[in-house]
Amino acid sequence: MMLRTVDLTKQFGGLLAVDRVNLEVREGTIHSIIGPNGAGKTTFFNMLTGEIPPTQGEVFFQEKKISGLKPYQIARIGIGRSFQQNSLFKNLTVLENVRLAAHIHLEGHFHFLRDFRSFHLPIDQAQKVLEEIEILDLADRKAGELSHGAQRALEVALALAADPALILLDEPTSGMSPDETIKMIRLIKKLAKQRTMIVIEHNMNLVWSISTVITVLHQGQVIATGTPSEIGDHPEVRKAYLGGYSG
Amino acid sequence: MLIEKSLGKKKSLLDREILILAGLLLLLPWVLPFKSLPAEILIYGLGAVSFNILLGYTGLLSFGQAAFFGSGAYLTGLFLIHWGWHPALILILSGIVGALFAAVIGFLSIQQVGIYFVMLTLAFNQLAFFLAYQWKTVTGGDDGLMNVPRPDFSLLPGFKISLQSNLEFFLFVWVIFIGSFILIRRIIYSPFGRILLAIRDNPNRARAVGYNITLYKLVAFIISGFFTGLAGGLFALFMKMVPVTAIDLLTSTDFIIMTLLGGTGSLYGPVIGALVTKVASEILSELWARWLFILGVIFVGFVLFMRGGIWGLFVAIWNKFKSGRVKEPS
Repeated sequence: MMLRTVDLTKQFGGLLAVDRVNLEVREGTIHSIIGPNGAGKTTFFNMLTGEIPPTQGEVFFQEKKISGLKPYQIARIGIGRSFQQNSLFKNLTVLENVRLAAHIHLEGHFHFLRDFRSFHLPIDQAQKVLEEIEILDLADRKAGELSHGAQRALEVALALAADPALILLDEPTSGMSPDETIKMIRLIKKLAKQRTMIVIEHNMNLVWSISTVITVLHQGQVIATGTPSEIGDHPEVRKAYLGGYSG
Repeated sequence: MLIEKSLGKKKSLLDREILILAGLLLLLPWVLPFKSLPAEILIYGLGAVSFNILLGYTGLLSFGQAAFFGSGAYLTGLFLIHWGWHPALILILSGIVGALFAAVIGFLSIQQVGIYFVMLTLAFNQLAFFLAYQWKTVTGGDDGLMNVPRPDFSLLPGFKISLQSNLEFFLFVWVIFIGSFILIRRIIYSPFGRILLAIRDNPNRARAVGYNITLYKLVAFIISGFFTGLAGGLFALFMKMVPVTAIDLLTSTDFIIMTLLGGTGSLYGPVIGALVTKVASEILSELWARWLFILGVIFVGFVLFMRGGIWGLFVAIWNKFKSGRVKEPS
């Protein structure tokens, strides 16, 4: 099992944001988490990556307990993430953004006395990732100067930079124009082929085309987990969330 | 080609930039009409460059620099008075004591961020000041630590360099300044230095990609503290005494003002800031008793309208002239 949560719970004061969620993600699968706004999806993500400590419950990554670890520790053992709101190194170039994210995994800590450009592994890796994400042509631009769509793509690139075993994408298409969304969907489909990912997404077209498993969250609780066709036929899901959509 | 455009050119330890800087600074004793000022500029310049490791490159506004500067100065003064060790060894020790103070003050302060962090560094600097102020038997208190000797510098057995004249002492400081500057620039362009930039830009993302930002901030403090302590040691040799103002909060603000005025975006800004501040105060103080007011107005003007400082202004003008030139990532 790549990732497993046991009764993962987060309470903010009187609000039960995430309520005893048990999730299992197998290697090589794309596991989507869907649900209306406020269902607790991002809070759930933030507990996986250590940004928020859980009130209760545990997270296991490759059968090792990771709940309680700090975000930088979790990042280092092989979980990469993107954020719903762009969180980039805005004053640095696109290549430098990805190089920084790759550096620690490839070269380790505290090199003081050699020029950073003589460390080739992270530079090569950054180029490879930018090529895969199809923004290599923007490598020399400052991240803050990119269009929203390109910034979203760079978000995904930062999640991939260290070649992590598990990738968490938090609404990769959020705030995108229709054209940009089409491009991002194509991109994620391409990435999904050889990776293990957990994806939070509102775009049902994307969710249904990439997912191996879909979990539906509603008011912090899992109301259904299954293959896309099972979820599409699930009466409670249709009622709570999907409206008339049929995959 | 794309890599070079995106990351800038690799910098060797000694390149044209360093040679130009070293050459220009070497001219100071012949250009400036004030005899002891050139050495003082380089000492404050080293302090300001060290401070910019924190402010410009890590995004940490430390008001604690005078604690590192003053502790280095007192250590040098005390060792020269009481034990008379070799000045080179004492200066290294003054760097180490600055680094130790920075490790303690930095460690406690970076537990907080934003204004709370700033207030903590300020409070610790006050603490260090009152310690020096009260501990009269060791530091001389308000009177300062008097009669610090400035010995000759024995390079090899039987071969001594005199540091007595203004020019001799300037050259001594110049060598240490350039050496430190080369080292600091190397650190800034090392992977470690780049991570500091990432932390300044977006600490949450730096953490999310795997960096222990608290540890990196602490190491930045220690490096800054080392070179600030070294500058303090030079200051004791320069003054032939240690005034209690060396550890005063006002010395911290001197470094801050020099750095902001010169520009935080590069390592050259603080050097220019130290030069301009020191020269301006020399000239203005002869013209008008309230000269600090003028310096204040200039400072406010730069902070309000020229955030890049004097260096930023220079770069902007340079780029206008050479438009189309590839700009290096800062």
